[in-house]
Amino acid sequence: MTQQLVRVQSGVPGLDTILCGGLVQGAAYIVQGSPGAGKTILANQIAFYQASRGGRILYVTLLAESHERLFQALATFDFYEADAVGRDVFYISLFKVLQDQGLSALVTALRNELARNRCTTLVLDGLLIAKDKAESALDVKTFVAELQSHAAFTGCTVLFLTSARTDDVSPEHTMVDGVIQLKEELAGIRTVRQMRISKSRGSAALGGLHQYRISNCGMDVYPRLEALLGTPSAEEWLEQARVDTGVQGLGQLLGGGLPPASVTMLMGPAGSGKTTFGLNFLSLATPDAPALYFGFYESPQRLRAKGRALGIDVEGLERSGALVILWNPMTENLLDLLGHQLLAAVREHRIQRLFIDGMTGFHRSAVYSARLIEFYTALANELRALGVSTVATLEVRDLNGLSGTDPLPEYSSLMDNLVLLRQAGVSGELRRFIGVVKMRDSAFDAAFHDVVIGPGGLRVANRLVLGRSDEPDAFSASTGRTPTIES
Amino acid sequence: MATVVVIDDETMNADALAFVLAAEGLEAHIAADGAAGLRVIYEVKPDVVITDFMMPVMTGFELARVLRANIETASLPLILLTAAQANLGREHPELFDAVFEKPCMPPEVIAAVHRLIDSKRK
Repeated sequence: MTQQLVRVQSGVPGLDTILCGGLVQGAAYIVQGSPGAGKTILANQIAFYQASRGGRILYVTLLAESHERLFQALATFDFYEADAVGRDVFYISLFKVLQDQGLSALVTALRNELARNRCTTLVLDGLLIAKDKAESALDVKTFVAELQSHAAFTGCTVLFLTSARTDDVSPEHTMVDGVIQLKEELAGIRTVRQMRISKSRGSAALGGLHQYRISNCGMDVYPRLEALLGTPSAEEWLEQARVDTGVQGLGQLLGGGLPPASVTMLMGPAGSGKTTFGLNFLSLATPDAPALYFGFYESPQRLRAKGRALGIDVEGLERSGALVILWNPMTENLLDLLGHQLLAAVREHRIQRLFIDGMTGFHRSAVYSARLIEFYTALANELRALGVSTVATLEVRDLNGLSGTDPLPEYSSLMDNLVLLRQAGVSGELRRFIGVVKMRDSAFDAAFHDVVIGPGGLRVANRLVLGRSDEPDAFSASTGRTPTIES
Repeated sequence: MATVVVIDDETMNADALAFVLAAEGLEAHIAADGAAGLRVIYEVKPDVVITDFMMPVMTGFELARVLRANIETASLPLILLTAAQANLGREHPELFDAVFEKPCMPPEVIAAVHRLIDSKRK
């Protein structure tokens, strides 16, 4: 018979997910991180969340910042509740006890204070200080074990905060039930914060590094998407109906439309009409089948202006609830934050059409770009599982012609459909072309077609016929050959 | 020489305040929790007591109640010096003669100490 562990919710978004349900009640954890990594914020965020749910927290400092400084810093966070201080969250210093009487007296004092204040959670800030007072590794183990057994016996959850690097053989590390490591590292010239559950006794945990952010809301943890969504959360369900792209004339090339809940990559150079394609795609959204624009380039204002210029009523779509716009400027983003934000919006609004403009936004935010394929796989699988028809753009270099069309092989294999937009100068005129390269389980017309941007957005025009089709790169403006158009 | 007892579990705060009070010509004693503070108070019979609120063993609030309940210390001037419970302290003027919210400047506290010593002597 397996006994169900009682969980304590941390109230830190994402943390309970990577802990596979939350902290274990009565368990002892080490929260380890260099100064500035956010240990104190994490512990206090948990404390105030617990307090809001009827918990009582003893927060003990040894040789740390003064309580008044701590309150000043905490007052800048939304989770801080001044009224709870002294009522539900008790801050005391036991440095004097440690200094004058040592570790065993500290254990006694902690036990007494926990009982006196009827506390359900203990935070001990300064495990390193206690460790410094210990004469041997056995002293440290005994100290941790005594507190841990007291905590387990009384169902009190313990967080030991320490800046010391703990490794697998550190005496305190071997004793506690869990270790939460906070890392703040430089990636190039930016800072990236990542969390790792390096020990989790009796409970699974999502392994590896997970990005986190500290804002005035406190800490948010973003479980690594490919680890969290290793398998999609729902079974893929495919109906026979085709999804109209909204681009006039494209349906004929696609055999009626896109397969439902598929992921389409739209590749093309700047100015080839990718965002216009997106507006066409989004324009078919309805309040019952809403769409999401997830972009990095055009701000909502610029997108609305673009819509006005093309005769696509973006504002009207937004007003009716048919369209949601999420814009993240391509500055210092976090990959998993983006992924979770995207999926949260899809779930919240029951999105059926998604336009991502473009994938470079994810690419630029990936600190460790080797994981991108796994990230995209998890994201694409989840979007399919959620029944979302996705079009994602990928900007490629302008090669002035139809050549250079291959994306990275890993990219094209994880996409269901691949559509190319191309442009070339032909006889002093810039012409745009569209071509379908790949479609999931479908027949399609592989011929390039002229495409025109005008009122109503993008429109597929004539089939492109090349004069010398036997040459490998038959169409290139630089070679001076001119294609003929079938009318 | 007037005597002051400073009670604060953050002993560095208590040390710093005691140092400033000594420089003012006052005799300062410190304690790290309410119960220890009470023992010092009974021993040195101070003119003024300055206490923190949240402390181990006995809080400043509990200490104040014990002092007020005892005839010998019922009118002993008591200053609450706290980072988070100033409002609660101000709601109980029967317990605290003055309330200061940390951070505050030492001259303010010292002025209050002198004022309470003077009014006690009158």
